[in-house]
Amino acid sequence: MGSRQITEKSLVMLRSLPRLSLANIRDNPGSKKNTKRGRGQHGGDKHGAGNKGSGQRQNYMRLGYETGNNPFYLRMPHEPYYKGHHHRREYPPISLLEIQKLIDTDLIDITQPIDIASIVKSGLYNFFPDKKHFGINLTDEGVDSFAAKINIEVQWASEQVIAAIEKNGGVITTAYYDPHSLFLLKNPKKFFESGQAIPRRMIPPADVIEYYTSAETRGYLADPEKISQERFRLSQKYGYELPNIENDQCYTMLCERKDPRQIFHGLEPGWVVNLKDKCILKPKDDELLQFYAS
Amino acid sequence: MTSTLINVFKKLNITAVTQIRLCSSATNVVSEHRDISVIKKDWKFPPQYTKPREVWIENLDTVKENKLGLFELHPLIYATVPRIDLIHRNVEWQKKYRWVSWAHTKTRAEVRGGGRKPWPQKGLGRARHGSIRSPLWRGGGIVHGPRSGKTHFFMLPFHMRIHGLTSTLSAKFAQDDLHVVKDLELPTEESEYLIDLIKERNWGPSVLIVDDTDYAPRNITVATDNLPYVNIMPVYGLNVYSMLKHDTLILTHAAAQKIEERLLNHLHSNTAIQQAKFKLDQV
Repeated sequence: MGSRQITEKSLVMLRSLPRLSLANIRDNPGSKKNTKRGRGQHGGDKHGAGNKGSGQRQNYMRLGYETGNNPFYLRMPHEPYYKGHHHRREYPPISLLEIQKLIDTDLIDITQPIDIASIVKSGLYNFFPDKKHFGINLTDEGVDSFAAKINIEVQWASEQVIAAIEKNGGVITTAYYDPHSLFLLKNPKKFFESGQAIPRRMIPPADVIEYYTSAETRGYLADPEKISQERFRLSQKYGYELPNIENDQCYTMLCERKDPRQIFHGLEPGWVVNLKDKCILKPKDDELLQFYAS
Repeated sequence: MTSTLINVFKKLNITAVTQIRLCSSATNVVSEHRDISVIKKDWKFPPQYTKPREVWIENLDTVKENKLGLFELHPLIYATVPRIDLIHRNVEWQKKYRWVSWAHTKTRAEVRGGGRKPWPQKGLGRARHGSIRSPLWRGGGIVHGPRSGKTHFFMLPFHMRIHGLTSTLSAKFAQDDLHVVKDLELPTEESEYLIDLIKERNWGPSVLIVDDTDYAPRNITVATDNLPYVNIMPVYGLNVYSMLKHDTLILTHAAAQKIEERLLNHLHSNTAIQQAKFKLDQV
């Protein structure tokens, strides 16, 4: 707030002024605007509503009405481009440029695997599972300037994005989360405070099974062998040399993946996180273990 | 007004590097105490452009002031721009959020009587009237009058609240009205002792004492019990209104640190949740 000089000057000035009290403070002049309507001979002339007609009376015509013409919305035949849009899954985008910004400003820790929870925690990305938002679409804006080695898990990614991440020696996985799991990932603290056991992640619906089992899209249900073949194929296609992650010093971090039934990194379904006593309660009953086993 | 301000500026002979407060009074010489400890701090968020302020740690166990050590205060909290407008907004908010206005007037429907037409519409040469409780009548209903149970509750934006606190603390500190004491231990529970102490040190008359715990030592609670102008408050109760209401603000060493730590944390972290629109916790 302000420059150093201004701060010093105002504090020095305060020293010789009377003591600040409830009686001698005030707001900046002109900061309050009177919302009252003016009255009297000229104070209450038109009140900003203009002269004559529907503007003055503020009885505007209904939207789309063309004063008697056959209106546009009736003249044109119905073209249902957006039919069923309220049933479709949405993936609110975040670009590689923004991810790079989060990394550069130290809002994301790249020594750990990145998932939607860590991106939301940075405070610069938000999504609403109740509005059919199913996670992150990682877009290719800033592919050329992206230069971080990360292990990232998103819900949707294009081929260029996958290539950009793998070129830098990173790995990317696309994974499906059902809305309930996304609520948990969005605000883990709220869920842990409720004292419930962490549920299992649901399997993807039929229309995206193909996306999440395909190695081209780095789906989390794809065969790892095929993924490594696809990694090589993509490097050939885009003409870069694929860094060898086996010899990398953060090889273990890069190899970390969640179980298809797991929601949080390091926490398995069925566990209860006790924030008050700072401990984790794990189920022991065979029936429970069998239920939560993937 | 402008000429007064200009005169003030001339008298001040402002220099940018002036240290706001090196010691509270020149008469108390440090040499009385040889074991002065100077506490240098390594903050989680060190000051980048301004120097830390230094403040004496005083004692409360003698009437006469003893300086026990020097203590560094973070300039972002205790020497930031004293935004008088933000202080005003905070005071205004504190007055309003708890204010429910019970003023009430009756409409023409609620005033007793007036159901009958006072005289016929035509033929009498008098003005047309339908009710003796019309707002035009004496003793009639009131139009757009105050209706009771009107709340004036609102939430001031989060950072306005934070900067209100830092502004007030800075203003208090700049005007020598903020003192740091080691702890709140008094040798006696007599009010007279505290009155003498306040007079001797030129504090007050009204004093707000802030500690970091809810439990103040017994002696000071008993001593202040009958002094309505000396009040004790925990750190979590610190607010702009009370700081301005009292002339002098006394922080314990621990309280000063805790205030600093909490405010610095808010100033440097992601506060999206606190900044979100305020919702009443009801469906």
